[in-house]
Amino acid sequence: MAEPVEIPATEPLHGYQLRVVQEVLLALLAGEASHGYQLRARLALALGPLAGALNDGQVYVTLNRLEKSGLLASTRVGQADRPDRKVYELTPSGRARVATWLNDTSWPKPAPAEFHLKLVAAAAAGLADPVGIVDRQRRELLTGLAQAQRAALAEPNGSVAALLLEGVVLRLQADLRWLEACARYWNQAKER
Amino acid sequence: MGRLLLIWRLVAGDIKRRPVQAALLVLVIVTTTTTLTLGLALRKVTDSPFARTRAATRGPDVVAELTPPNGSQTRADADFASLRHAPGVTETSGPYPVASVRLTARGIDLPAQAEGRDTASAAIDQPALASGSWIRPGGAVIENGFATALGLHPGDEIRLNGHPFRVTGIAVSTAQCFYPVSRPGVIWLNRTDAERLASQRQPLGYVLNLRLADPNGAEALTSGPIGTAFFNEPDSQSLQTWLDIQHDDFRVIAVDQKALLIASSLLALIALASIAVVVGGRMAEQTRRVGLLKAVGATPRLVAVVLLAENLLLAIAAAAVGIAAGKLLAPLLTNPGAGLLGSPPAPPLPATAAAEVVAVAVAVAAAATIAPAVRGARASTISALNDPAHPPRRRGWVIALSARLPVPLLFALRLLARRPRRAALTAAGLTLAVAMIVASLALQYRIDVHNQAIGYDLSGGGVADRVSHLVYLLSAVLTVLAGVNAIFATWMTVIDARRPTALSRALGATPGQISTGLTTAQLIPALLAAFLGIPVGLALYQLAGGHLQEASPPVLWLAAVIPGTLIAVAALTAVPARIGATRSPAEVLRSD
Amino acid sequence: MEDRAPNPILSATGLRKEYGKGAALVRAVDDVGLAVRPGESVAIVGPSGCGKSTLLYLLGGLERPTAGAIELAGQPIHDIAESALARLRRRALGFVFQAFHLVDELTALENVELPALLAGASPRAARARARELLQQVDLEDRAEHLPSALSGGQCQRVAIARALANAPLLVLADEPTGNLDSAATTEVLRLFDQLRATGQTLITVTHDSRVAATADRLITMRDGAFVDETRLTGGTSRSLSQITGLGS
Repeated sequence: MAEPVEIPATEPLHGYQLRVVQEVLLALLAGEASHGYQLRARLALALGPLAGALNDGQVYVTLNRLEKSGLLASTRVGQADRPDRKVYELTPSGRARVATWLNDTSWPKPAPAEFHLKLVAAAAAGLADPVGIVDRQRRELLTGLAQAQRAALAEPNGSVAALLLEGVVLRLQADLRWLEACARYWNQAKER
Repeated sequence: MGRLLLIWRLVAGDIKRRPVQAALLVLVIVTTTTTLTLGLALRKVTDSPFARTRAATRGPDVVAELTPPNGSQTRADADFASLRHAPGVTETSGPYPVASVRLTARGIDLPAQAEGRDTASAAIDQPALASGSWIRPGGAVIENGFATALGLHPGDEIRLNGHPFRVTGIAVSTAQCFYPVSRPGVIWLNRTDAERLASQRQPLGYVLNLRLADPNGAEALTSGPIGTAFFNEPDSQSLQTWLDIQHDDFRVIAVDQKALLIASSLLALIALASIAVVVGGRMAEQTRRVGLLKAVGATPRLVAVVLLAENLLLAIAAAAVGIAAGKLLAPLLTNPGAGLLGSPPAPPLPATAAAEVVAVAVAVAAAATIAPAVRGARASTISALNDPAHPPRRRGWVIALSARLPVPLLFALRLLARRPRRAALTAAGLTLAVAMIVASLALQYRIDVHNQAIGYDLSGGGVADRVSHLVYLLSAVLTVLAGVNAIFATWMTVIDARRPTALSRALGATPGQISTGLTTAQLIPALLAAFLGIPVGLALYQLAGGHLQEASPPVLWLAAVIPGTLIAVAALTAVPARIGATRSPAEVLRSD
Repeated sequence: MEDRAPNPILSATGLRKEYGKGAALVRAVDDVGLAVRPGESVAIVGPSGCGKSTLLYLLGGLERPTAGAIELAGQPIHDIAESALARLRRRALGFVFQAFHLVDELTALENVELPALLAGASPRAARARARELLQQVDLEDRAEHLPSALSGGQCQRVAIARALANAPLLVLADEPTGNLDSAATTEVLRLFDQLRATGQTLITVTHDSRVAATADRLITMRDGAFVDETRLTGGTSRSLSQITGLGS
């Protein structure tokens, strides 16, 4: 039996990516024109505990890019004793792009090809024990699951951010199930 | 062929899965069919043995007896003349000499009547031999009741007035009632031997047997002018019709026959009720089995066939064993009062009786199958699988009440309340058992009273003993049946209560509390049964032919039934209850 | 980090449970040792048939071990008489089962008061405690409902309330979310979290990683033996978003 393992100090591997895609910003502007900081606020609300990591700069950069592509239009609003703020609004082509995006059903790729190939390579080359790799990854994901779950449970009832966290939890759970299957497979492979 | 094999496999698998239940069911049906067989056997014996004996011995319609002075035969002939030539008399036998002697045998000294006979068969009243052979010079044939009372068998030596004789045979006759109803006891000797036994102080008497053209005219003859005239003669001793003798017989035999009649009716009634109770209990599980079979793809018809096959198999096997057991036990019960010919010595159970028993068993098995099979064919598979027959009932007041009571009572009450139908069946079964005991008590008491009224010397053995033995045997059979029912009921309760038992153990109830609870769950219906069983038993007794006005058992006996029942049920249920309470809870509760 | 650690509430050494004989011998639990401290929450995970449920029943005294020793609150329980074991279970243990095992003909309230009644409490006290517990699990408005009128998650919550009836030292849960869907699982997880917060010692057997993730210690079992142990503790939301990959 292995020794109890602490939380790793290094940055964990990314299991999934959530890109704040530019279309999100377009969609958020479909209702009404907004300042950049208003957009950030609404994003933060929707992301809940995960919002803290959002890079503020990223939002403004994306807004700029969208304006250059002609999907957004901006106007300057003058304010007393403050620098002027830009107010963004959707152009017709922007609106069209939002409509297309809402109807788009593409989903992030579900196959964990990278990890799978890692195990195969390790086994083939005799570099490391695949079961050990799987166990380490399991611990990692379990820790992550625990954190995500705690955050989810801490959210108030009816919070929309809780839904996002539940999505994180369930995906991690699915990954863990697959990792158990990997452990079984590579254990049997060892015995053969 | 494949279908038969499938059915066989399903049935066998089912029985193998629940061997204890199947065994218990078989046991109950065996005891029940034994009881039923005995009942039927007894019934066959209730045709009149007196009539049979009378026919076999060519019994007389009228018997006349007189003692002339100095034992003079000519005088006897003269005195008998009027009777011999009376209108309606077709035939006579005798007069036979009768000597009053003292019989000494096995240290007993008794007065006896020695009747002189010929070796040739008499036209009227030729005693029929129960064992041994007819008289020869120096040999004596003893009347059956007399022989039984003295413990005499062919080959034994006796002394009559000091003269040695050898017992050559034992016989019955309807010229007089049997010993000890008719005393002194009768011995038949060679004519010359009998004449020689007369003495100065005890001169010879003579007996004449008459046959009439119309036996029913016997009363008219003996009470008419000729009979009256005979009575008034100084030498006359007695004048009896066959009806008088039969009446005497019946005063005793009636008890015996009545007892047999009551016994057989009781047995049959109770056996049927018992099967109904057991089968009723079993029906509940059948529904689930139906659901399971349907779920694996059996058609409703196949389901019905499997259920029927299983029940039939068990019922027929049990019936066969029961009939065999009944046959073995029947001779113990079917020997009627000594002194009469009963059924032939080895009573073969008529084939019809055996067929009746099997028919009953099969009918009951079929009945047990049809209802759940029909229900199962109609009902949806899911509901049959999910609800085991009926979901447990909720009785709010029982739950509230039981919360106030100690744990065993809490457990017992809730167990009873969740399956009221089973509780009712258990109470019914136990009520029948108590009724059985009460009815046999009533019978026993009646016989005791009767014996006392007739003034029996009970230490003499013979009829009274035999009837008592019969009643004891009857009670024993019924008690066994009752016991088996009680055990079966407890076992069913234990099995049904498996989940609540395991759960209670997990929540902290001790095995002692649970086994007490399981036992109490039987004692509560038992208490009810004890109270109900007394009137039901007395009613059954009346129904079977007994008369309570004649002899009703003392209140003390009846009152003793109540604690007796409780103790018996507690003892019988202790073992299954303990087993149920100590089984590992993990088996029942685990999810793996 | 084991300094000044209080005495374990439960300690088991060399536990073994075997079924069958000879060629058919099955070792469901093979030489297992475990110590659980007060307030700890332990999850035992593993594939089906690895013996984790058997282990739980051994720890709870519902089955006798073939070999080994178990001590509950300092008292050995592996070889005491059944009635003493039952009395100990009353005071010290609460059980939660995968199939709930609620009594079908009793209302939620009557189900929850059952352990108290079995332990000899007065009906009034038992009823009051039951109401209090149902309030804790947020089901007081369903107190008079029968289990058939409750959803799976609600049933399990009633079962958890029942497990707490006699304020046990230790709660043992066997696949508590095995029969529940995702939403019901969340209800139960919330409850378990609350229990941990109140310092209740908890041993859970599960194959659901969501349930396992609520524990302080996670033990992996395979073929009747422990093969791994992990300590799971809390983290900041920053590491959370690193795991989910938000931000560039």
